[in-house]
Amino acid sequence: MIGLLGLIASYGFSQHFASVNSGRAFSGRAFKTPPSFTEAEQTITLKEAISGLKKRYHFKFAYQQGLLDNKFVSYSLLNNTQLQPEVIVEKMLEGCRLQYKQINKKQFTIFSPEPESKKKPSAEGASNNYYHSSDVPDLSWEEYMEDNEFNMIIKGRVISGEDGQPMPGVSILLKGTTNGTNSDTNGDFNLGIPDEGGVLVFSFIGFSSQEVSVTASQTTLSITMRPDASTLTEVIVTALGIEKDKSSVAYSVTEVKGEEFTQARENNVANALTGKVAGVNATGISTGPGGSSRVIIRGNGSLTGNSQPLYVINGMPIDNSVPGGSATPNGITSNVDRGDGIAAINPDDIESITVLKGGTAAALYGSRGANGVILITTKKGKAQKGIGVEYSSTFTIEKVSVFPDFQYEYGQGEGGVKPTTLAAAQASGRRSFGSKIDGSSDYVAADGLNHPYTAQKDNLKNFYQTGNTFTNTLALAGGNESILYRLSLADLDAKSVLPNSTYNRKTANLNVSAKLSDRLRIESVVQYSLETAKNRASAGDALGNPNWTPYEVANTVDIRWLNPGYDAKDNEIIWNDAAIANNSYFVVNKFKENDDKNRFIGQASIAYDILKNLTVKGIVTRDFYSYNYTNILPTGTAYTPLGEYAGIKSDLSETNGMVTATYKTEIADKFGISILAGTNGRKMEEKRNNFSGKNYIQPYFYSFSNLATSSVTPYTGRTTTNSIFGSVDLDYKSILYLTATGRQDWFSTLSSSNNSIFYPSVGASFVLSDAITLPRIFDMARIRASWAQVGGGGPDPYAINLTYSSVPSASTVPLQNVTQLADGTKAITNVNLKPFTSTTTELGLNIQLINNRLGLDVALYNRRSTNDIVSVPISTTSGYNNAILNSGELSNKGIEVLMTATPVKASNFSWNVSYNFAYNQSEVIKLADGISTFSLGNSANGNAYINNNVGRTYGAIYGYRMLKDASGNTVFDTNAGLPAQTNINQELGKGVPPVTMGFSSDFQYKNISLNFLVDGKFGNKVFSVMEVYATRLGLLKSTLPGREDGLVLNGVTPTGDNYTRTIPVAQLRSAYYNNLNRYTELFIHDGSFIKLRQVILSYGLPVSKIKFLKIQSASIALVGRNLLTLYKKTDNFDPEQSLTNGPAQGIESIGLPRTRSYGVNLMLKF
Amino acid sequence: MKHFIKNYSCILLLPGLLFIQACDKNFEEINTNPDAVSKVTPQYIFSKAQYDGVINSANSSKLLLGTMQYTTSYNDVDGFGSKYVAAQRSLSSVVFSSGYPNQINEIGEVIKAVKNDPTQVNRYAVARIWKAFCFSRLTDLYGDIPYTEAGQGYNKSIFQPAYDAQKDIYADLLKELDEAANSLDANNTTTFGTSDQIYSGDTGQWKKFAYSLMLRLGMRMTKVDATNAQVWVTKAIAGGVIVNYADIAKMTYIGSGQDINKNPMALDLLNSSYIKADGVSNTEGGKYQQVFIDSLKKNNDPRLSVLSVVYVNGIADATPAIQKGMPATINGQKPADFVTYSEPKQTTVLRLASPVLLFTVAETNFLLAEAALRNWYSGETAAALYEKGIRAAMQQWDLISGTTGTITSNQVNAYVSAHPLNTGATFEKQMEQIYNQFWTGIFPDAQEVFANYRRTGYPALVPNNYPGNATGGKIFRRFLYPVNEQTLNTTAYTVAVGRQGADDFLTRIWWDK
Repeated sequence: MIGLLGLIASYGFSQHFASVNSGRAFSGRAFKTPPSFTEAEQTITLKEAISGLKKRYHFKFAYQQGLLDNKFVSYSLLNNTQLQPEVIVEKMLEGCRLQYKQINKKQFTIFSPEPESKKKPSAEGASNNYYHSSDVPDLSWEEYMEDNEFNMIIKGRVISGEDGQPMPGVSILLKGTTNGTNSDTNGDFNLGIPDEGGVLVFSFIGFSSQEVSVTASQTTLSITMRPDASTLTEVIVTALGIEKDKSSVAYSVTEVKGEEFTQARENNVANALTGKVAGVNATGISTGPGGSSRVIIRGNGSLTGNSQPLYVINGMPIDNSVPGGSATPNGITSNVDRGDGIAAINPDDIESITVLKGGTAAALYGSRGANGVILITTKKGKAQKGIGVEYSSTFTIEKVSVFPDFQYEYGQGEGGVKPTTLAAAQASGRRSFGSKIDGSSDYVAADGLNHPYTAQKDNLKNFYQTGNTFTNTLALAGGNESILYRLSLADLDAKSVLPNSTYNRKTANLNVSAKLSDRLRIESVVQYSLETAKNRASAGDALGNPNWTPYEVANTVDIRWLNPGYDAKDNEIIWNDAAIANNSYFVVNKFKENDDKNRFIGQASIAYDILKNLTVKGIVTRDFYSYNYTNILPTGTAYTPLGEYAGIKSDLSETNGMVTATYKTEIADKFGISILAGTNGRKMEEKRNNFSGKNYIQPYFYSFSNLATSSVTPYTGRTTTNSIFGSVDLDYKSILYLTATGRQDWFSTLSSSNNSIFYPSVGASFVLSDAITLPRIFDMARIRASWAQVGGGGPDPYAINLTYSSVPSASTVPLQNVTQLADGTKAITNVNLKPFTSTTTELGLNIQLINNRLGLDVALYNRRSTNDIVSVPISTTSGYNNAILNSGELSNKGIEVLMTATPVKASNFSWNVSYNFAYNQSEVIKLADGISTFSLGNSANGNAYINNNVGRTYGAIYGYRMLKDASGNTVFDTNAGLPAQTNINQELGKGVPPVTMGFSSDFQYKNISLNFLVDGKFGNKVFSVMEVYATRLGLLKSTLPGREDGLVLNGVTPTGDNYTRTIPVAQLRSAYYNNLNRYTELFIHDGSFIKLRQVILSYGLPVSKIKFLKIQSASIALVGRNLLTLYKKTDNFDPEQSLTNGPAQGIESIGLPRTRSYGVNLMLKF
Repeated sequence: MKHFIKNYSCILLLPGLLFIQACDKNFEEINTNPDAVSKVTPQYIFSKAQYDGVINSANSSKLLLGTMQYTTSYNDVDGFGSKYVAAQRSLSSVVFSSGYPNQINEIGEVIKAVKNDPTQVNRYAVARIWKAFCFSRLTDLYGDIPYTEAGQGYNKSIFQPAYDAQKDIYADLLKELDEAANSLDANNTTTFGTSDQIYSGDTGQWKKFAYSLMLRLGMRMTKVDATNAQVWVTKAIAGGVIVNYADIAKMTYIGSGQDINKNPMALDLLNSSYIKADGVSNTEGGKYQQVFIDSLKKNNDPRLSVLSVVYVNGIADATPAIQKGMPATINGQKPADFVTYSEPKQTTVLRLASPVLLFTVAETNFLLAEAALRNWYSGETAAALYEKGIRAAMQQWDLISGTTGTITSNQVNAYVSAHPLNTGATFEKQMEQIYNQFWTGIFPDAQEVFANYRRTGYPALVPNNYPGNATGGKIFRRFLYPVNEQTLNTTAYTVAVGRQGADDFLTRIWWDK
């Protein structure tokens, strides 16, 4: 077995044409002519030459100890700058009768193609054009067989699991013997083994060893070698797609491989980041398939604005906005999560995701890197014979997973009386303040029928259906040395747990890259996606929210009695006292809400090597979508009987052009230097029309042309940001690395005197383990430090000058008004706006121990946003709803820990675990002069607010408590006969969890693997609107006191006298429980949880047995997401029940219930 | 690629001074909103300020129409005004929240644009009168409110305006009306013209409106400062108030098109409950309240069949005998006889093209009748003014219904002769008669009725002691400030509450002490 030896790393900064390199398979060619060099020619040792290449090209080489000894190469070859570096490597090794396999762009494994065995390796060995060293006896095949008395020949082929190509040079050893061979150029091998069979060990540096039992009956083997990432120094993608050796980066970067997203998948790939990366707080929103996600890295970076990271695909930014804006916790009609930009990305197209956690990592992105960057690298083609076909199919079903713990002692009714007439049933349709549930038969429900008065506990199960998602992706890939391609076609079809709610996403992605000459390379990626959704669940306040009925219907009503929700005239069937609390069956059956988004993402790049070490690259990308949304509230809706119409038509584009030049050189053999300079131009344009109208003139005909009142409001938003940037990377003997970047941005959104800012960053990484001799236990120890300043201009145009707009009117009198924002608010513009800045300092430590079996990565950061551009809600008495200010200051400090371990690493069993932990402490330092608090949002009816308060944490929950006197007695408002409220500014908890963690475990036994992920969030609170209603409506167990004899309230009057009041049963709801919404604190719960987030059990099918199908590999997996909640403190709802991806987190607003999903995933490669 | 080069030629240039200059080229144009203009047109924004100032959400079925016992609902939300349900208390803050960013902001923009231009003296004066009208509506509901510093968020960067004491606000409103009325110049033809949807720029009529408002605000102070009340009332009468039908201050609507073109109160009532016009499908369960209909019936009031109908087999029937108001005590449950209750008539109260009456001849006469009773006015007798008030109140239904002679002169005469002012009775008894007529006559402007109810105690409404009410079964004395004033304007709010008393429904505002 080849041990891991002499794995030496060097660092580089390269603009090599990625796809050509990664697509490059083997250079394991037959050596026709032994290279010869004359005595006179200057030679150096191979070791020196390799060392020189490492420095110059920042390659890494792995080889067996001693392999390079006593071998010499031509000095001139080493210095031949006309040749591609790979060619130099190839030619050098050729001369030494060695070969290499390129593991990745920077990593090479050098091996000897010659058999290790002293024995004749194969029957065809003689005809093979291998060079044999002189100590191998030149035996004939017959002689060989005779010598060894082997009766049986095992034939086989070794294939790389990475690219599906044959793998030469793999060592094959019969376990317990010295009998072995190497695979040949075609990956083929023959090995004689004894009759009784045995165990063959396949090994190759950089790949996991495999042991395979062979028996007499088996004569043909197909072995797939899998790369073993832990034995290699990783190359990671950093800002602008620059690849760096992981040990050189001065900040925390985490890479997640594409496979992590493709088996147990989330429709929105961003949700799948949950628990996987320390410091990344990803939240899926409770809005059903096609919904948005909220991803926050290292805390919220802006006081009111966007705190989500920038998404970058193959180096270029995409738009991640939600058309028409995010849903809000208190929104009313059409309060729908319409899905964000990242939702359009198909996980099957993702090669890897790299998370740049904020300023220091993302400084080169300037204004847009302030909240971190999520880099998505998509899959590319690979040079291979024929066409590679990959097919992936996943089917999952989805079920509601959390059920409230309601009371089932007293049923529908009011004042202790159950309804016995239709009118009484309609009045109390949402009230469970009736008599004791006794099965009596005179009960009448809102359907007007007699039913036994019994508890109905399954309303959620009966209303929501089993959802499912079926995803199919077909990819064709291939190419040769000069052109590579990959085309994928995917279809995702999802049926929500909400009846009649569906989401479909089709994507086509084509990636073509070509090497037009030795110096000229081009690449193009084109993605087209079409997302269509029907009846996305709205949330927030009552109007049209389909979740209100199942969560509020009285507990003796079987919700199906309300089905189908409309009468013979298509009018909504009344089931409760408030018309705005729609019959959910009417909503799902009659509301017509549709949206579709046609999206095109295209990018094209051209790179030219002016000199060997000077490359210029130009790239242009455009992300464009056309979005249509209509929401029809039909004729017959109880609260708006003539109907309403809302629509959005939006065309949005983001166009980026970038030119970069990179130059690298070496100074005095000790210093490597890389320089990058570039310019970037970015244009955003949104053209939107908002349609609204009321009252269909001709009933039941739902066209915008058929509205008695209608208006169209246009909006055109344009912003441009121009930039220049540059970076310098230095490395001293691959021990100390220094990086400095700078970027200057110009913003169109600011006034010309203040529209530009320069952002610097510096970083250092010191590889301690290479600088000094550490105990053997240390494989690697590294410390890093960085400092960066990034920032940005205002995200929205037109924020500097007050303007006036026309107001739609049918009268001949023209109307004008101060221009309002899209949401109807008036904001005070600010001509003095200047760019905001976000300064991050980061320290990190990275240790690998015990043959890389243990790893630790710790990061400490301090991030401070200053001059934050915030649209601050201000007192409306100012004449405006908001002021756009430039003075916010916000601090986020935290620690992130990543621990990895390989507790077991046996030949056919391995176990890897990984644990990440992050703690973030946020503090609002300043808002604006004289302003100490402002609100990010509030619940329906204003019972709870999410505020930023100076000196306090970001986004805390505020509201009322019951007023207590000094001795803790409840003080009563004697007019209302209810406990008095405190003022509303009571801090009741953090809206955002400060602690997040994840634990994942991978077991691998032969071709079976089991992966699970457990994650948790801690330290936040959630305000539950559902509980507010379940209290007012008598569904919660906490409303049981007083049902028999009335409720006695005790306390004191404001003047301190004793106060007692008895609420009679008849008024229990109206006089008491209905009014408890006044006390926010009653509905605040600890939002901490631990969940079994993901389980994948997969089995690699032994496809070699069914060779006729020409399947290269196949795997089948059982997958589950959100399977179990292992710990939570909320009895009645899921603590992750958030429904907005905006900044107001910490409010549960009767959104779609959370679900668990499980299913099966099949992946085939041909 | 061509496109790329064309659009990004700027960035293709390598860094350098040239580049830097080029790289914010066209930024100003890019950052100019194509759907907006940078200069205000004062008359256009004045029209908007008029619309917004007239939309008075206090006069909704949820609020004062219920409180003044004209309407009610069986449910708690729409019935809040008549039931004072604690759980819905935040409904009372809406007038405050919407008033400032709309009419107060807009009239401020108008004043800013015309104030320093001597040729626009009439526009300035009219804008000041309108501003006084708008602020008076706000302060009468809430008491102390931001006034001096209000609406200055953009001009002076005041984000947390102080609350002015109502006493000071009143003093300034009266001063403003006085100055504005005096500054109106009939010879200057620069007016808002047709943009003025109340008087089409007629300076004479604006003067009458200003003095009428002065009369209204002066009378408000009878309880707290009778001396000054008399001063201002006397001054107002001397200046000339609205006594002719043609001078009634009314905002006109075309009744179709956008919502802003429709009578806002009718629109609100329709949207709340009455859009289906069948007597059953009342979305929010609204109906006329028993107190109001009983009173009209008892007095054989000809207005009953003008403003009220009962749906019989789906047909609106205005026959007085079958009119019946719904009790405000109904707790949540739609009564079985819901259809039999009276509701507003589609062709009058709910007519989208009807004008909103802002100051009527009826109001002038009732206020003058009180002034006469107090011996502050001797031009006519209280009894005569009282009768003129009733006649005017009946005649103004012509405006609301759009039909002349809606109530015939015979009906008016019969009613007037049956309801003379009892001049022999006590001052209080006569006051009660006047303000009972005010209640019936000023409908549907419930806010004006609410103000005079608080000041005079009439009509002697019996409050509704509904389970879970916020007031202990008493009628509001004021509305609550929006809760976010506690958060966004903490200091000013705290000072105001410290001065005026708890932010409670029963705290009395300055002129109600």
